[in-house]
Amino acid sequence: MSADEPTPAPDRAVEHDGVLRRTVAAVRAWRSRWYATPTLLVATFLFLAGLPLTLDAPVLGPVLGSVLSVNLLVVTLVWAIAGQGWNVLAGYVGRFSFGHAAFFGLGAYAPIVLAAQYSINPWVGLLAGAVLAGLYALLIGVLTFRFDVRGSYFVLATLAFAELLLAVFSNVDDLGGASGFVKPLPSRYGADYGLGAFQFQDQLPYYYVGLGLLLAVTLVAVAIKHSGAGLSLFAIREDEDAASAVGIPTMRYKLLALVVSAVCTAAAGTLWGMYFTTVRPSVVFGVLVNLEILVPAVVGGLGSVFGPIVGALGLTVASEIGRSVVDVPELQDVVYGVILLVVVLQSPGGMVTLPGKLADRLAPSRRSGDDSGEGSDDGDEAASNADDTSIAESPSIGHETSRGYDTSSGDGASDASDGDSDAG
Amino acid sequence: MPVPGPLLVDPTILAQIVALGLLLGAIYGFVALGLTIIFGVMGVVNLAHGAFTVVGMYVVWFAVDTLGLSPFLGIPLAGLTLFVLGALIQRTTIAPVLEASKGAAVLVTMAMLVILVALVEMGFSATPRELEVGKGSFALGGVFLPAGQVYALAAATVTFLLVWVFLRRTHTGRAIRATADDRVNAAYAGIDVARIDYLTFGLGAGLAGLAGALVTFIQPFDPFLGHEYLTIAFVVVVLGGLGSIPGTLVGGLLVGLLHVFGSFYLPGSYYQVLILSVFILVLLLRPAGLMGDPG
Repeated sequence: MSADEPTPAPDRAVEHDGVLRRTVAAVRAWRSRWYATPTLLVATFLFLAGLPLTLDAPVLGPVLGSVLSVNLLVVTLVWAIAGQGWNVLAGYVGRFSFGHAAFFGLGAYAPIVLAAQYSINPWVGLLAGAVLAGLYALLIGVLTFRFDVRGSYFVLATLAFAELLLAVFSNVDDLGGASGFVKPLPSRYGADYGLGAFQFQDQLPYYYVGLGLLLAVTLVAVAIKHSGAGLSLFAIREDEDAASAVGIPTMRYKLLALVVSAVCTAAAGTLWGMYFTTVRPSVVFGVLVNLEILVPAVVGGLGSVFGPIVGALGLTVASEIGRSVVDVPELQDVVYGVILLVVVLQSPGGMVTLPGKLADRLAPSRRSGDDSGEGSDDGDEAASNADDTSIAESPSIGHETSRGYDTSSGDGASDASDGDSDAG
Repeated sequence: MPVPGPLLVDPTILAQIVALGLLLGAIYGFVALGLTIIFGVMGVVNLAHGAFTVVGMYVVWFAVDTLGLSPFLGIPLAGLTLFVLGALIQRTTIAPVLEASKGAAVLVTMAMLVILVALVEMGFSATPRELEVGKGSFALGGVFLPAGQVYALAAATVTFLLVWVFLRRTHTGRAIRATADDRVNAAYAGIDVARIDYLTFGLGAGLAGLAGALVTFIQPFDPFLGHEYLTIAFVVVVLGGLGSIPGTLVGGLLVGLLHVFGSFYLPGSYYQVLILSVFILVLLLRPAGLMGDPG
């Protein structure tokens, strides 16, 4: 319990305790209201909408501009969208995919190939990519779920399906082979630069198109999470056999989550392809794409709709700060890896649980006091106990869950449902 | 599509293909050995396995290029370095999360993959490197065996036998196998499971490093080659059975033969499609692998 920690100036702490406690309690109470999540979502998107404009502002601009650029923000949005999609499967149903590059690549290829070969508008290509990704997800889902491929085997199976597309796209000449495809000019499909053509001469419009896609994907994720389907998904995550026993059609819900997840990730791929103009199999289907998709979601917070957004932004800012300190390009990757490591070891709930933990630190509530009273003498560890369950269990990779963990899965369920409410 | 070659070929050519397939397969099996040992004992899919092989490759490169040592001396050096690195990683980052969640442990290995590859790239740049020692070949009755592959096969065979004897005949080896069988009961029987874990992870990483060192004998390498070998190692261990040591040999030979025959009969790199299709089929129909225990 953090109350046991030696405080530097005890009398001072007592003095402030009342105010702090009341503030934290008020914030907590607000966070549990029904309108809290929508309000936070609106605030998040307003913030994101204004973010690129502040880069040009007189006072903030030079400070932010030294770290961020519109280019980086577009890339951030790509991984936030993809992570939001991945999260629907991994965070909600607990099926940890290491092969979302398959859907990402299909989304990236579809609009460019269709526009270059058949003069089809990329917006139609976006839909085509989503449909293709959805169908491929359906194939993967029917096969893996039918044969009950779980845990580590699911990780490997999804990777294999992504690598399969990598091998196929590298070899089929009509798809450009290993050298890939280059995005055609808008005139190729009878359009002019602008929203209608999904091509712009400037970076900023790509950002707002990306923000629109992120909004759409996030709304889908929120709708699923806060519906009956969402409850069923979380039930499957906690204990699939029990969920099945109480009559939840687990196969149908797992397929739903996988297909939605794939479609969202394909949208990210489309944005990536249209922005970077060239798609190559090794770049959009590669092993590293799987990493880039899932790391923001894990760092931000598995199972939370804010997680992928916060994670993607946090990772971009952190690795850019890292680079501005030491100008070695590979250092960015090191920072990226270290952040993932620190989050997994120190804060398994991700960045979205940090405000909740801070609140626990400032004013331990009764609930968190009970949770952390596990006899741990380390305040940090105790505070994170509550979140441990929700993340640690959710991406159940292990081929068998350790025994100690099964007993706590009951707590996990309640933590999962209020995982977001700690985010305020 | 080019015209497919005739299905029946000259016996000498066939012997050549089989020989190449077996040589390649033995290396593939050896690359997967460390992965299967870690999975068998700890139940963790080590995503950093490919990165460990890359570190092994560059230990050899460092030994040859900077220290001026023989590449053959680089092999044990790579194994030793990676053993220490693996044991350290296990002690500091995996042990704290392992009992709580296998998923978190896999995420830790994922972070290690990113960090190690970036560090290697920082230290040695992304330029592809190549050793001279692997060039040339031996002739054996009309069949040519690339020298690098033969050296690699010899080193892999010796190591494989040593690991086999270690796991079968020594007290620690038995303790490792007992832990793989049943962690809880191994602990009840007085085995220090935490110590076994870091020995195992060190052993798995060390074997990955050795495998990486051998790869430098057979092909040019860069810091990203590990991703390719990670996928190969996954395919091999699943074909052979996750956690099964003889299985890696069988799986490796199978993948090696599929690779060589696929490249001979199929255009482009369609052999990859072939290998992955077999992989997916085995995952779906017999996830315990060809040699694993389906129970």
